Amino acid sequence: MSADATDAPAPDLPWSVLDDYRCFGCSPHNPHGLALAFDAHPEGLATTFRLGRSYESYPGVVHGGLLGVVADETMGNLIVVRTGLVAFTVSMRLRYVMPVSVGAEYTCVARLGAAAGGPLTSATAEILDAEGGCVVTASATYRNVPFGTARERIALSAPEAGRLDQALATPATPATPATPATNAFTRQESA
Amino acid sequence: MTTDPDGVVRQITEIVATELSVPAEALTPDTDLRGIEGADSVRLLRVVAKVEQTWDVELDDDEVFGVSSIAALSAVVGNALRVRAA
Repeated sequence: MSADATDAPAPDLPWSVLDDYRCFGCSPHNPHGLALAFDAHPEGLATTFRLGRSYESYPGVVHGGLLGVVADETMGNLIVVRTGLVAFTVSMRLRYVMPVSVGAEYTCVARLGAAAGGPLTSATAEILDAEGGCVVTASATYRNVPFGTARERIALSAPEAGRLDQALATPATPATPATPATNAFTRQESA
Repeated sequence: MTTDPDGVVRQITEIVATELSVPAEALTPDTDLRGIEGADSVRLLRVVAKVEQTWDVELDDDEVFGVSSIAALSAVVGNALRVRAA
């Protein structure tokens, strides 16, 4: 399984229009977060990461819950860049193949799943080690919601909401069907 | 992706061959997976993970850790496909 990103430009998250968004997974402004950055991938969306001891479980082993965050962020952002809708996580399931090491580099690749119908979208993700070996798999279902509907759940000022709404609605950079658009946004409903 | 029983066995055989780095011709439905040279818990879990992704099914851990052959794993997949279709 390839973890190669494409040469396409890295997608910008719509949150980038906000000065101080704090998403634990993908914000560069949250000192406690993972600050994930995403790359276009031939099969969907990818992020390469290296987690330090702040995210440790057993000594030298990354806490499995954080790997759920990584998978969820990558799948959720993929859905949003493809749909322009906010994606709330409905359910997620992980299979841990082997322990993930603190300080080592891994790549998470997300792909859209089979159409779930209605407002639901499914996705899968794999976390791969530097040799391309699978260490975690994930599958999840998301409920897609227009920003206007999600607005009441999201704490933003009116000007911020306007900017974010516009960012979500802005057409993506010209892309092949396998290349994500330029904007992404995800949050877990029940996290 | 195939869902007929023989096709599931064939495709799982290919997955096992790839993940365990053995020729598919060396495998039979009754081959003891844990007896294959180089097979360890991680590689066998990768087989399971790949099987789940291929057929978009979630296999119960009790069943996954109990299987010892391609035929047994194929039966678990078949059950999961039937449950999903029900």
